[in-house]
Amino acid sequence: MELMERLNSVPMFLIAGAVIVMVMVLCVIFMVKSYRAGIAMGMEKEKLRNAITSSATFTLLPSVSILLGVIALAGSLGIPLPWMRLSVVGALHYEGNVADIAARAAGMPGGLGTAELTASTFVTIGFVMAAGIILGCVLCVLFLKPYLNRVRRPKKASAETQPSQKQGLGDVLFTAMFVGLVSTYIGSYVGTLTSTGDWMPLAVAFVAGLSMAVFEYVSRKRNITWLDNFSMAGSMLIGMAAAIGLGAL
Amino acid sequence: MNETEKRSFYESYSNSCHWIGRIGLAVGIVMMLGAPLVMGLALGTGPDWGSAIPALLQVAAVYWVSSIAEFLVYAPLLGTASYVAFITGNLVNLKLPCAVNAREICGTRVGTPENDIVSTLSVATSSLVTVTVLAVGVLCLVPLTPVLQAPALQPAFNNVIPALFGALAYKYFFKSLRLTAVPLVVMCLLFVLVPALLSQVSILILLGGGIALAVGYFLYRKDKL
Repeated sequence: MELMERLNSVPMFLIAGAVIVMVMVLCVIFMVKSYRAGIAMGMEKEKLRNAITSSATFTLLPSVSILLGVIALAGSLGIPLPWMRLSVVGALHYEGNVADIAARAAGMPGGLGTAELTASTFVTIGFVMAAGIILGCVLCVLFLKPYLNRVRRPKKASAETQPSQKQGLGDVLFTAMFVGLVSTYIGSYVGTLTSTGDWMPLAVAFVAGLSMAVFEYVSRKRNITWLDNFSMAGSMLIGMAAAIGLGAL
Repeated sequence: MNETEKRSFYESYSNSCHWIGRIGLAVGIVMMLGAPLVMGLALGTGPDWGSAIPALLQVAAVYWVSSIAEFLVYAPLLGTASYVAFITGNLVNLKLPCAVNAREICGTRVGTPENDIVSTLSVATSSLVTVTVLAVGVLCLVPLTPVLQAPALQPAFNNVIPALFGALAYKYFFKSLRLTAVPLVVMCLLFVLVPALLSQVSILILLGGGIALAVGYFLYRKDKL
């Protein structure tokens, strides 16, 4: 049996499914608990239902775009792992990047998809994807309660002001981190072009970036806000489609 | 329920959320870390620790820093909903906007018990919708597997990462051109002048990230952003 068939086999789906079911159970517990607490505290049922329906409709379109992310990664890693990763802690930009870093470290010098995947490389990639983003959950387990008590209790007014004060520098550093990350990859595509003459990665990145620009322009110009939800996955798929067309040239 | 009773009820609700959240996340962490290893057992192999540890250190240098920043910044906005938000992911691009949207619809304020409740309802609902859409999508995806593996489509899957970073480049570079100029020029020059570094991209992320962080901090202090 070929590796890709084994990656898409029933046991792999069961393992991924077990993790997803566990997280779903946690969500249901929190949902029921918070709804009951809202009622007990005298909040209007209508308001609580609005919170549920607005969140469901708000999430529907982005969820389809996350599904496109599963499709994008399924060709390289099979379906169960991307399904599990994008159903729980992951995010599309994180999963693709970390899979690539792990693939390079595990013997694919050109990155994910550039050499034949082995079972051990697959497991290494899966483990690094899981461990690399787990810190947020660990911080919640260890520090969320004392942290919330600290930022909310000292002065009543500070509960409102604390988050916004931190957000300034936090947002800048968050953006800077990704600017550095993306600059490194784009720089490597420029270097690949000048040193080997392989223009494909840079061309695909350019098409995807251009698609993103078009998505954002149309979304703003026509005020189609739901389009934002598809811009990332849509741009990626257009860039990937361009690779097929450009490769045939 | 008067104000005192309300406060006392919320206190007990909040404590039980912390209790359930801590246990749930602890179990979730073990399952998420264990899943790839169990998949390895099913495949008759294990991770290559010699590769996994250096790769994890490279990932940690970028994402653990951003995880700390996300925790410090977003946890006060989400309250006890943070437990569900952090374990279900897509925090900044989906869960947070979703919770903010629900909060606006319900008219609650950050830091209040009502906001905690609305945020938790919102994030939990959002997570369940995502999981359901993905599960239905994956069921439809299985019959398409042979198509996804067709040789004609391989150039597309071989270029997932350039497509990802092309799209991200527009998103992040245009957020702040001032922040972008130095790291982008330095990294391009580095790879053009020293092509041998092309096999070390994942390590050089640290350099690119460090330069961008330094530039970001400098511009922030000078009020240029």
